[in-house]
Amino acid sequence: MSVGRPLFVREFPSTLSAMSDTLEAALTALAEHGWMKDDRDFCFRLCLEEALVNALRHGNQSDPERMIRLEIAEDGDVCHVLVHDEGNGFDPDKICMPPPDHAGGRGICLIRHYMDGVAYDHKTHCLEMTMRREPCCKGG
Amino acid sequence: MTPETNPIVAFEQRGPITLAVIQETRMLDAINVAEFGRQLAERASALPAINLLLDFREVDYLSSAVLSELLRVNGIVEKNGGCVRLCGLASAIREVFQITNMEKIFTIYDAEDNADAVRRFVRSLDIERKEQSWNRLGKND
Repeated sequence: MSVGRPLFVREFPSTLSAMSDTLEAALTALAEHGWMKDDRDFCFRLCLEEALVNALRHGNQSDPERMIRLEIAEDGDVCHVLVHDEGNGFDPDKICMPPPDHAGGRGICLIRHYMDGVAYDHKTHCLEMTMRREPCCKGG
Repeated sequence: MTPETNPIVAFEQRGPITLAVIQETRMLDAINVAEFGRQLAERASALPAINLLLDFREVDYLSSAVLSELLRVNGIVEKNGGCVRLCGLASAIREVFQITNMEKIFTIYDAEDNADAVRRFVRSLDIERKEQSWNRLGKND
């Protein structure tokens, strides 16, 4: 990662238990560095979980042989969250909120709502999310 | 109240309404969401035309996976002639329902407590029944 001071880095296999452990450890690291004040707990937990679940299920097809790498860094008042998987990638800007009765596809839309920036790098198979210290939730 | 073996949801019958109080504050992460859906679907399948009121007062977090499970359960319930309604949503969770347009699918009661939500649910069922009766009378005229 080339953006700012690293706060958390972990690579883990594509299993729900490894993902859950990583999520909790990442949230703890964010709290230790003052990123979990007010309603950020909810925003970060939701966005990290949605991004990791997408990487696990859609990117890596729940194949435990495939790895996911989560990196979090801060650069001044901006937090960068990078989720690397071994999938084929997607364009978050081309995913729209599905109709209310549609079964899935809401995760990336929620991330777009709560984060200040979302982009996918096809070369590195990496979803990057950014959040500024203030304000927390764009729609909040 | 009849607790399940692994009670993510505790069920209680209140007249015509089946109240389902979600027990987990973070039920609704990727690990236990499938079990949540299983417990609801099992109850919905066992009780045709169930009027299911889901109480979220203990829940402080959920992800989009829960919304998918709720839609699945709602499909089962509606197929059997019942309906699903929600109450006790914290503001952060209510916002998730707003962002995802889930409010178009689910009636959400901003009730003081689940007893109030049950009363409103019963009242709306009464109104719906009367409307259906009037419609039938109108067609027979």
